[in-house]
Amino acid sequence: MKLVTAVVKPFKLDDVKQALHDLGVAGMTVAEVHGHGRQRGHSEVYRGAEYVVDFVPKVRLEVVVDDATVTTVVDAIVDAARTGQIGDGKVWVTAVEELVRIRTGERGPDAL
Amino acid sequence: MNVDQTRSDGESLRAARDDVVAGPLRRADLRAALTDLFDQWLRDALGDESDVALVAVGGYGRGALAPGSDLDVVLLHGGRADVKELADRIWYPIWDSGIKLDHSVRTVDEATGVAREDLKAMLGLLDVRHVAGDAELSSSLRTQVLAAWRRDARRRLPDLRAAVHERAEKYGELAFLLEPDLKEARGGLRDVHAMHAAAAAWIVDAPGDDVKDAAARLMDVRGELHRCSSRSGDRLVLQEQTAVASALGYDDADALMRDVYDAARTIAFTADEMWRRVDAALRPPRRWRQRQPTRRPLADGVVEQEGEVMLARDAAPERDPALVLRAAAAAAQAGLPLSRHALDRLADDSAPMPEPWPEAARDALLSLLGSGPDLVAVWEALDQRGIVVRLVPEWAAVRCHPQRNAIHRFTVDRHLVEAVVEAAALTRRVSRPDLLLLGALFHDIGKGYPGDHTDAGVELLPTIGARLGLRAVDTEMLVTLVRHHLLLPDTATRRDLDDPATVRLVADAVGDRTTLELLHALTVADARATGPAAWGDWKARLVDDLVARTAGVLAGAPAPVEDLLDASQRELAEAGVLDVHVDGDRVTVVAPDRPGLLWRWAGVLALHRLQIRSATATSVDHMAVTVFDVSPRFGSLPDWSAVRADLRRMYDDASSLSSALAERDRAYARASTLEPPPPRVIWADDASESATVLEVRAHDAVGLLYRLTSALADAGLDVQSARMSTLGAEVVDAFYVVDAAGRKVEDPLQRQRIEDLLVTACRRPA
Repeated sequence: MKLVTAVVKPFKLDDVKQALHDLGVAGMTVAEVHGHGRQRGHSEVYRGAEYVVDFVPKVRLEVVVDDATVTTVVDAIVDAARTGQIGDGKVWVTAVEELVRIRTGERGPDAL
Repeated sequence: MNVDQTRSDGESLRAARDDVVAGPLRRADLRAALTDLFDQWLRDALGDESDVALVAVGGYGRGALAPGSDLDVVLLHGGRADVKELADRIWYPIWDSGIKLDHSVRTVDEATGVAREDLKAMLGLLDVRHVAGDAELSSSLRTQVLAAWRRDARRRLPDLRAAVHERAEKYGELAFLLEPDLKEARGGLRDVHAMHAAAAAWIVDAPGDDVKDAAARLMDVRGELHRCSSRSGDRLVLQEQTAVASALGYDDADALMRDVYDAARTIAFTADEMWRRVDAALRPPRRWRQRQPTRRPLADGVVEQEGEVMLARDAAPERDPALVLRAAAAAAQAGLPLSRHALDRLADDSAPMPEPWPEAARDALLSLLGSGPDLVAVWEALDQRGIVVRLVPEWAAVRCHPQRNAIHRFTVDRHLVEAVVEAAALTRRVSRPDLLLLGALFHDIGKGYPGDHTDAGVELLPTIGARLGLRAVDTEMLVTLVRHHLLLPDTATRRDLDDPATVRLVADAVGDRTTLELLHALTVADARATGPAAWGDWKARLVDDLVARTAGVLAGAPAPVEDLLDASQRELAEAGVLDVHVDGDRVTVVAPDRPGLLWRWAGVLALHRLQIRSATATSVDHMAVTVFDVSPRFGSLPDWSAVRADLRRMYDDASSLSSALAERDRAYARASTLEPPPPRVIWADDASESATVLEVRAHDAVGLLYRLTSALADAGLDVQSARMSTLGAEVVDAFYVVDAAGRKVEDPLQRQRIEDLLVTACRRPA
């Protein structure tokens, strides 16, 4: 099993959600986050003084998937979240050692 | 109610309780059956013992048991040595049964002693009821406890009040929460117990039938909540509401919640009034203070006396339909409650409001809405007496209206009032604080009607605007605000802000910067009033970004300037001499121009107790023409010949003006600790070619225009023209100024100095 984490632009959340549902991914966790990547935020002028906005609002979503479907899921997220502009975000994959469905106690892929 | 004694005592008690709970009894019958069951069990358990008694206290003492309630029992004894063994014989089976037991073993003196130290123990013992054993013991406990409570009332009622207050802070208000705690929230069952406790101290009367009925309804719901959820929690969560509603025979969960809210409102409102009477009763006797209570005027026909807002002796609600709003505004602005008597008169005797509303009524409404957090209590008092619905019939549909939605925390009506409170803190951000406040009050008014709530609101608004007597353009602006009140957050979180089409779409919907500014402030107020999940730094950043980008697209279209003078005013100006013309409440002053005229005129009007509702100042051919729309602060318009004479005198020599005004100011010292949002000075650089335009947004105060204009004079500025408006309790004044040499003011340091002077001027002189 793998944990797929994606940080995307907020308005792309609906598209990504839809893409994952179309693949049959059942659940996900979403958080409102602030962050920046290579573009280091952007600068703004407020009351005459320029200041750097270090962090911009983003959405982070996490989903645990079967090893077999990781690539499809990552590709779907990338396709759905891409605008081609700076700040489109990132997707990364980490290994998951164990997974338990709390309600039933099911373990491993059964708990997906 | 037979307890099967062949099984172990604990098991049989548990089984008997479960039978009652599973049975057909509901409401008061269920409570009575549970009480009878435990009473009989305790009587059997105690048996024939002398010099001991079992008494029920707290909810069990009142016979108000719900299926999950604790059993509060005291074993009273007269000093028996073997009381411990006796107690074990009774408590162990109850512990075995799993029923929660709150128990103690005490002599009468011990119990009274504990009650005198511990408020919670005292409140429980006030409801003491004899169950078994020696009735003498029980009745002597009851007598001693009540006597101690009455003796200590002066010391302990303030503690009780503090506990009530603390609980309200922690649990919020039952009547407005979507998942309220029936017991602990303000307006819940504990507030009823506190009322009974205060009454037991013989300080105030016991609550009437309306409160008893309301408490019974809450107890009914609580009982079913325990039964349906099989838990003892008192929070009426969304997932249990449908089951509770059907168990009690309501049509649906909404009907249940409306009834719960109605009961809670009755309790909270009566409790507030009762606590005010307790305060009055506990105040030191008057001879220590002064012989006559002082009555301080707050507004025309409205006075403050002993911390309450009352009607003046000559006030006549039956002839003065705006009085109700004036009194409410004065109360909310001063942070004081309306007295019960004033509310009664305003509710029963007020003349119907003419339609469209007169300007004075509209102003008072805006002043009420702009009062900040104190609006909530005053609005609730008006609503409780049916005054809100009489003034705004559409309110009936949102009153106590639940929302089935995970983000919202409040009922629709309370959400609207909370949004107004939030908006009042944002009035400096907009050039039309009046429309912001009205927009906040009505943005979800459509939620009480079928269909999409935004569409319904858009349909209702023209009627409401016409009734309030708003100008057609202002009503249109309100309709725009209501129509688009979700546009900014929806767009900011769901559309690509880097896409010019997104920004264009918002710019087209909004139209101009004034509306954008209003919509932004309304969005923030609405979201903050919704609940903690609806607003935060994350969403604020996205919305700010969208607004900044849209403002960029909408830049460069300054508002059109109207011709300020009409024909008759031009005629006065052409005469070339100092002249004063009065027409109703409009005062026109023309005089050969010289620096510092505006503050002189404003000062004289303030001296004659006139409030300046709006003013324009301009000059033509070296004649300064100033037009004021005024209203008397108290009573009727002044003697105009005296005003004229003062205006002439001050034209020549204004040296006595400031001391005369300071004298007057002291006469209306206000006790309010209310903190309006700080004043704001905005420089509008592109608005004029020849002068610098600065806009002051501030909370209105006695003599404010005089202080602002004299501050400008102190800064060495000449006011070329000005437009001042009072919008409810807020003023927005634009001044076109030049320096002594007739140049625009551009130096940042000088601007900072001017801002400081103006901000200081907005504060009331000490």
